[in-house]
This record gives sequence, C-alpha cells and structure tokens, in this order.
Amino acid sequence: MRFFPGLPGAARRLHELTDAYALDALDEAERERFERHLRRCPACVQEVRELASVTTALAMAVSVEPPPALRERVLTAVAITRQLPPEVAEPRQRLGARVRLPRTSGSPWLPRLALATAVVGVAATVTLGLLQISTQHRLDTAQAQNQEIAAVLAAPDARITSATATVGGTATVVLSYAEQKMVFASSGLPALPSSKVYELWLLGPSTARPAGLLPQPSDGKTSPVLASGLEADDKVGVTVEPAGGTSSPTTTPILVMTLPSY
Amino acid sequence: MTNQAGRHREGRGAGQRQAEAAPPAEPGPAGYADENLDRLLGLVARDDRSAFDALYARLAGPAYGLIRKVLRDPAQSEEVTQEVLLEVWRTASRFDPSRGSATTWVLTIAHRRAVDRVRSETAAAELARKSPLGLAPVDEVAESVEASLYAEQVRRCLAGLTELQREAITLAYYGGYTYPQVAKRLEVALGTLKTRIRGGLMQLRNCLGATW
Repeated sequence: MRFFPGLPGAARRLHELTDAYALDALDEAERERFERHLRRCPACVQEVRELASVTTALAMAVSVEPPPALRERVLTAVAITRQLPPEVAEPRQRLGARVRLPRTSGSPWLPRLALATAVVGVAATVTLGLLQISTQHRLDTAQAQNQEIAAVLAAPDARITSATATVGGTATVVLSYAEQKMVFASSGLPALPSSKVYELWLLGPSTARPAGLLPQPSDGKTSPVLASGLEADDKVGVTVEPAGGTSSPTTTPILVMTLPSY
Repeated sequence: MTNQAGRHREGRGAGQRQAEAAPPAEPGPAGYADENLDRLLGLVARDDRSAFDALYARLAGPAYGLIRKVLRDPAQSEEVTQEVLLEVWRTASRFDPSRGSATTWVLTIAHRRAVDRVRSETAAAELARKSPLGLAPVDEVAESVEASLYAEQVRRCLAGLTELQREAITLAYYGGYTYPQVAKRLEVALGTLKTRIRGGLMQLRNCLGATW
C-alpha cells in the first residue's frame, strides 16, 4: 500500500483505485479501466493480492452453511457444464487439457453429452447404443440434435437453474438467450400410464407455447429435451397431457420455473 | 499496538489449527478431504468432479455466507451461489496460484457477483438493506465453527479501527456500495473517505496477518 508519489497524475490516480478495486467498490467503468491498467502494473497486482488477504478474512468471517439441497443442484449443473480450456497452455496443464478435451473426433460434443445424460438423463450406454443402431438418417438427426444441445451447454451466456415439481422430482434447465434455446432434463418425476405424457411449455406473459414432450424416463430420469424459441420473459412449465401432447395446456402445471434474468 | 497485533496473530494461529482439524460438514470423497485447496482446484480444472465435490464441502459455506451478507435475501443468495460455484467449475483452468489462493479466488468471484446483483436491484430492495453493519448474521442461521473463529478474529481487528474507518469498510465490502455512495451515507468528503479506508485496510492487514 504505497502512494506512488513519483508517478504522473493519471497513473497515480489509477493506482489510488487499488483499495476500491479490492473492495469491489468501483463502478463498472472504473473497474474495467483499472483491470486494463492491472495487466501492465505488476506493483498493483502485488498490492491487490495483499489487500485480498484482508477481504478474504472479512469474507470467511460471515460463512454460513447453505441449504443442503444446493449441493445436489450444483453438482447436477456441473455434470452438464463444459469447462473452459486453459487460456495460456502452460506445459504442466497442457497435457491434462489435451487428454480431457475431445477435439479431434468428428463429434467432439458426444463425450460431454454422454456424461451429461449419465447424470441428468438416460445412461450413457443407452444413448450411445441408440446412436449405433439408428439408421444413417436417424443418426444424422440425433447428432444434429446433440450438437444443438451441446451448443446451448457451451454458449457463453449459458445459465442453469433447477426446481422441484409439485408431484415430486427435480427439473434442471440450461438456457441460452443468445441461442434462444433451452435444454430440459428431469429426475424423479412419477411414472405415467402410457395414455399420458409430460408436456413441456414455454410460458410467455399471455400465451403458452408447446416446447416438446418428455421422453419415457429411464431409471426415473428423462433424457435432455431441446426447446427453441426461448424469449426473455419466458417461464418454463410442465403439465400432464394425453399421449401425443396438446397445443395448449389442459391441466394445472406440475412445475413452473422462473428462469434467470436475461 | 504492536503487542496487540501480536496477540491477534497468535489467536488466529490457534483458531486455524482448530478449524483445520474439524471435519467438513459435507465431507467430499475420501482422500480429498484434507487436500490443499489450491491443488484441489487444479484437479477440478482437469474435469475431476470428485475434487469439485470436495471443494464444495470447503468453500460453499464461505461463498454462500458472503453472498448472503451482501444480498440479504436467502433465495437470491442461493441462486447467486449456484452461479458462482458453476463459474468456478467452468473457469477453474483460469485460476493462477501465483496471484492468490484458491479461497481468495473463489470468494473474489462470489463477492463480485453479489455486488453486481445487489447494484442491479430496485429501490425497493434498497430499503431492505439499510443496516448492513455488524458481523454476525442478522437472522437465526448458524455460523459454521470455522466462521465463528474467523469472525472473532475479524471482530477484534475491526474493533481497533476508528468508527469511521470501520463503517466505511463494512459499507463498501459487505454493503456493496461504491466510494461515492459510502461518502454520501457517512456524510464525509470523498477524499477523506479514501484516506480513511486506506488507513483502515492497512491496519487490518497488519492485525490479521497474511493468511491468504
């Protein structure tokens, strides 16, 4: 924590933002300006680091155990969320990254999708098995669908949220407003007779748009369903409908999810 | 002052040993429970979900507590905590141990997100957070054992500041206010505020010692 008396005025004023930066007390524009400065200022990096030991202590002092349900939601989200590769490949990390990140195969998304479905949808083996026995046409369709799902999961603005249905069971949605799509998966919804189906809806301020039927669950889990046409104020709903689905809901939703804001 | 700071450091040392000996509330997979957090985050960066689970056991409480301190609303805090932990998972490969500890990295993300959220709130919500001062959680939520040890240490160090320093730092950090907002609320000139916060932070650093 120095005053940098020898520096020209503008640089000195930037240095003086260090405390406020460490406390997150800069407004957005100042923060960005300071972060640009930080890249060229090793002394500031060191100072920020020293101040961070103070703010970390302030943070640790208010630790509170979160509700137990949060853990499952976070771990579910993690299972279907793709990691960013290292920004600068250090030799130590590069090996791990190469092994982990599938880049060379024709369908680079499938391993991650298999992992995702293993947790939130059907078992990976079932998915892959289905792909193998499909006709070429169906294979192309399935891969196109998987790639669309993968695009949502990997979207820079991808958000995830979960909710509990009134009849029991949990639904998880990954959405991207940029892609205008969402991926819906569930676990633990009660089984339905073959004459009924769970139907997914995008609920706008005044209308409900059909967004697909949930597949038959396997081990109580439904594999990911992709829905397009997502809009900023939509909620997501699920109703029980006659087999084949309907064009507008005929029963009370068993689930209405508010989505993270745009 | 020097003696006092020395005592504080001793107090913290003892607290830390106890905190480390205590088992995490939700132990991660065996073998990871005692793993150094920086190394754990390195494993997380390589797609290791068991390591992430162990990281969750250690850092979800601190992240949630901090977010809740800033946001107040439990449901929103839970939502932001989920976003933060997911961001930790996504961007684990960007963690650079040379720039600070894993704990600091995670809590910096948590604080930043909480502050961004609280600043985007409406004026109505603003009314609900008129009194962000005081360290103990305002409601009946139990602090973790670890938190109460840190809280005791931090409380003692904060007690060594002037009232203005203490209020300014807690408003800025726990309240999510910018310097001009803090200056206005405390009715002091911006220049005065900057100087007082600077002095307060320096004193806190000396009192707390370099733990992270």
